[in-house]
Amino acid sequence: MTIEAVDRRSRGLRPHHRAEAVGLGGVLRRLDWLLLAALAATAGYGLWAIDGITMHDVGGSSMSRQALYVFAGGFLFLGALFVDPDTYRRLWRPIYFGTLGLMVFVLAAGAATRGSKRWVDVGFFKFQPSEFGKVLFVLALAGLLAERSRSITSARATLTALGYGIVPILLVFVQPDIGTALVYTSALGALLFVAGVRWWHLGALAAATVITALAVLWLLPAAGFNVLKPYQAARLTGFTHPGNDPRGATYNLRQSITAVGAGGLRGRGVIGATQTRLNYLPEHATDFAFASLAEERGFFGASILLLLYLLIVWRALKIVANARDMFTAIVAGGIAFMFMFQVFVNAAMTMGIAPITGIPLPFVSVGGSSMITNFLAIGILQAIHLRRPGRRRA
Amino acid sequence: MASSARPGRFLPGDPRVEEPYRLTPQLAFRVAILAFLALTVFAVLFLRLWALQVLSGDKYLAVANDNRVRTLRLEAPRGPILDKYGNVLVENVPGWRAELWPADLPKTWPAQRRELQALSSLTGVPLKEMLAQLKAHALDPLTPIVVQRGLRQDQIFYIREHDAQFPGVRLANSYLRKYPYQSLGAQVLGYVGQITAGEYKTMKKKGYQPSDSIGQAGIEATYDTYLRGKDGKAQLTVDSLGRPKGAITPLTSFTPGEALRLTIDIGLQRAAERALVYGIQRAHDASYAHADGGAIVAMDPRNGAILAMASYPTYQPSIFVGHKDAQKLAPLLNPKVADAANHPGINRAIDASYPPGSTFKPVTALAAMQEHLVTPFEQLQCSPVYTAYKQPFLNWTPLINQSMTLTTALAESCDTYFYELGRRFYVLPSDRGHPLQGWAHRFGLGDKTGIDIGPEVSGLIPTPEWRCKAYGGPPCSGYVDRIWKPGYSIQMAIGQGQILVTPLQMTRLFALIANGGKLVTPHIADDIEIPGTKNQPARVLRRFGAQSPQPSGVDPTALSYVQRGLDEATHSPIGTSSGVFGSFPIDIAGKTGSAEKLVSLPGFPYPSNQTQSWWCGYGPYNQPTIVVCALIENGGHGGTSAAPAALKVFEHYFGKNGQLTNHISD
Repeated sequence: MTIEAVDRRSRGLRPHHRAEAVGLGGVLRRLDWLLLAALAATAGYGLWAIDGITMHDVGGSSMSRQALYVFAGGFLFLGALFVDPDTYRRLWRPIYFGTLGLMVFVLAAGAATRGSKRWVDVGFFKFQPSEFGKVLFVLALAGLLAERSRSITSARATLTALGYGIVPILLVFVQPDIGTALVYTSALGALLFVAGVRWWHLGALAAATVITALAVLWLLPAAGFNVLKPYQAARLTGFTHPGNDPRGATYNLRQSITAVGAGGLRGRGVIGATQTRLNYLPEHATDFAFASLAEERGFFGASILLLLYLLIVWRALKIVANARDMFTAIVAGGIAFMFMFQVFVNAAMTMGIAPITGIPLPFVSVGGSSMITNFLAIGILQAIHLRRPGRRRA
Repeated sequence: MASSARPGRFLPGDPRVEEPYRLTPQLAFRVAILAFLALTVFAVLFLRLWALQVLSGDKYLAVANDNRVRTLRLEAPRGPILDKYGNVLVENVPGWRAELWPADLPKTWPAQRRELQALSSLTGVPLKEMLAQLKAHALDPLTPIVVQRGLRQDQIFYIREHDAQFPGVRLANSYLRKYPYQSLGAQVLGYVGQITAGEYKTMKKKGYQPSDSIGQAGIEATYDTYLRGKDGKAQLTVDSLGRPKGAITPLTSFTPGEALRLTIDIGLQRAAERALVYGIQRAHDASYAHADGGAIVAMDPRNGAILAMASYPTYQPSIFVGHKDAQKLAPLLNPKVADAANHPGINRAIDASYPPGSTFKPVTALAAMQEHLVTPFEQLQCSPVYTAYKQPFLNWTPLINQSMTLTTALAESCDTYFYELGRRFYVLPSDRGHPLQGWAHRFGLGDKTGIDIGPEVSGLIPTPEWRCKAYGGPPCSGYVDRIWKPGYSIQMAIGQGQILVTPLQMTRLFALIANGGKLVTPHIADDIEIPGTKNQPARVLRRFGAQSPQPSGVDPTALSYVQRGLDEATHSPIGTSSGVFGSFPIDIAGKTGSAEKLVSLPGFPYPSNQTQSWWCGYGPYNQPTIVVCALIENGGHGGTSAAPAALKVFEHYFGKNGQLTNHISD
């Protein structure tokens, strides 16, 4: 026995999982097949849904384009399986600052689209860094929190994580992309929660968030300082008093609720869905895709999608519980919650129970960045699952 | 839970040794919370989805259906207006109109303003006007607003090609009024225009819509309910930008407006309008330079059917059609411009009143005989000056000084003869009332004639009571102004002073003289009919017909002396218009009038006395079929301009050489 061997034994206390190579056989044996099935079903269902939603739009159905994104996403998904998540942990700083750099670049040079700068045009493809940033943000902050996992109960750790987290949130917020900023915030909360930050710290943060929201929406405008543009504020608060302005900020909301309601139990079909087909429902291919789906496919069609989402969230939470280390648990928790948050806010806003924000519906809304990011996120979940310890809680 | 990782409880932890990761109960608890949260979130979504789609699905389905269906009006073509012989005076031509659908306009104000501005520069309709209309219809976003009727081809093409620039703008079929005879009968026919907000308020109950166009004056206004027809309804599916998707589905078809036949003879109307211009020219030639307007009415004295009604100056009714040119409309709508243009919009035959002058003398004569103040044979002195109450009253000519009977006095239009009659009326005891004014009213003067177009003024037959009231009384005594002086009665006997009548009232008076004492109700509309085709005669739906003439109670014998006087006036060597009518082959009887009226002429600081030229009469003398009244404003003596103008009308009616045209058979 060499010193090294003793040392290695003494290190036996450490889990033996660093840089485990997972071969193809390992992938096939250990993959979460249910999650994979849910992913495939959701993506397929999403393609079918978007085909009906966009069939009567100018330029025709977006399905083939979306299928291309699914294809690209599939590759990214496969690639993610073979990357040990520990790589992300070690590289969290480059990931974090790379993401920041990209966001600053977008702000500085991004093409102005609809008054907001969120796109980077790379010739063949305009991509939205803030979408990819969702996953990168989770990975980077999870790395930070895992590094400080011993002192995670200290206020200092909480504040550090908060400091790191708030910078990209603000960068997204000023794009302005309030919806995505909200997603980032929700992810940050989930990361802190799973990492084990103290309850009262979490409570204080929640209170601070509420106060900030009130200040932005109400106190500061009352004092004559408008953080948000009036239309943004109107959209955020409009759902609390729908229908009192037939032509104003709540017009979209009213049309969206009408679309959902008109769908009924079985839906109106692609031809019969006049709210979508005649363009009364704005942005029905992206932000209001859920309302459009609900109109065309009815309660049954919308419920199938929600159940598929629920399946994904359930599998993701299971992966949190089975993760081999703190970092992967935090990552899985962050992804699971972020996914759930997006689904909820998007679907709820079309039904008038959440503020109107531009959050895409995962696997359904037209958009490559979102589609590919979601595949990547599930891929990372699978990669974590592949490397779960033993078979104790398979 | 948090204490499990806290160092220093037992042995100090070795910083180099990482603790093995295991699922702490703390993490398990938090994951459970996340799972619970997920279930809650999805439960909320499902419940909301259920509430919207299953519980209120029907309600939202109805809302969605309303969203996309627009109910359109299929404009009914307005009925044509025909003259007595079926000539089409007003017809329809199909055209396009631009409508605004408020619900489909852009939702943001800058985009909406940009679109309306583009529409404004295209159609020439001021942006302000559109915004005012939009505001007026703010509560009814599903009713279109008509921006412009009668779009030009290029405007239609532009809107069609730039469809995407004009959400909420729709082109719709519409009909435009067309006037084949141009300005002929403009004031009689009236015009069609968009219903005003005020009109809509009062007419809403009759089923009028805010975007309707309705008859705004004359015949078009009076008979609007017959002419307008009934609009149809259709449905159209539109997208959120108001662009039509698919074809128009008719629900109910429209009923075209019915045709309206008038008693007007457009040929005679043309003759009358030309006669007015001719009369004014005659006045100018006789150095009455301020002659600038007038009216001629031709009527059937037996039933009150108006054969022609001319008013000068006139206008083209087509300026109200389609694209409206403010400059062309100014003489009709802008009071200042109208003053300078001498009010072409006013129908002077019914909407303007003048002192009747000597044409009133038949009334004085009849009233005096009826009241036994004079007999037809009584000789009264006709002198250059008549003096009463220390006041001199001049005859119109200083060359006559002889006594004469009533007939001759009418023929020569001797003023002093009638001054004496006026004095006799003045000295009547108060229990006799005011018989001169009374008879004037019985002959239809000073009252609206009840003709079926408007607006009509009633004129004025002054009485002592009126005088007192008009000048601030009662009390009536003690104020010089309020007292009825003898001069007023004396002046009134020759149709001077404050007395005012309309040309139509005078026409009615002479019709009464012509037909033996019956008061007719003038009318222009003859019947409502479905226009016939070549093979099918017109089908009359409703005949307005003539109201039967009302006896005025005048003594036929007394009337016959007046008739004779009027015939002598046009035939005896001393007659005032013998020079004009004496050689006309048909026996025409009539009376000139030259009435002094204070007139404010444009460009003159003070009103001046101008002579209004009148001639009223009828023919043929024995069996009158037409009565004509001509008035030339500031046209001098009746014989100078009005009588020659009236002759032109007779010439057309009877033929230049008196060969009776088919008119006589009517």
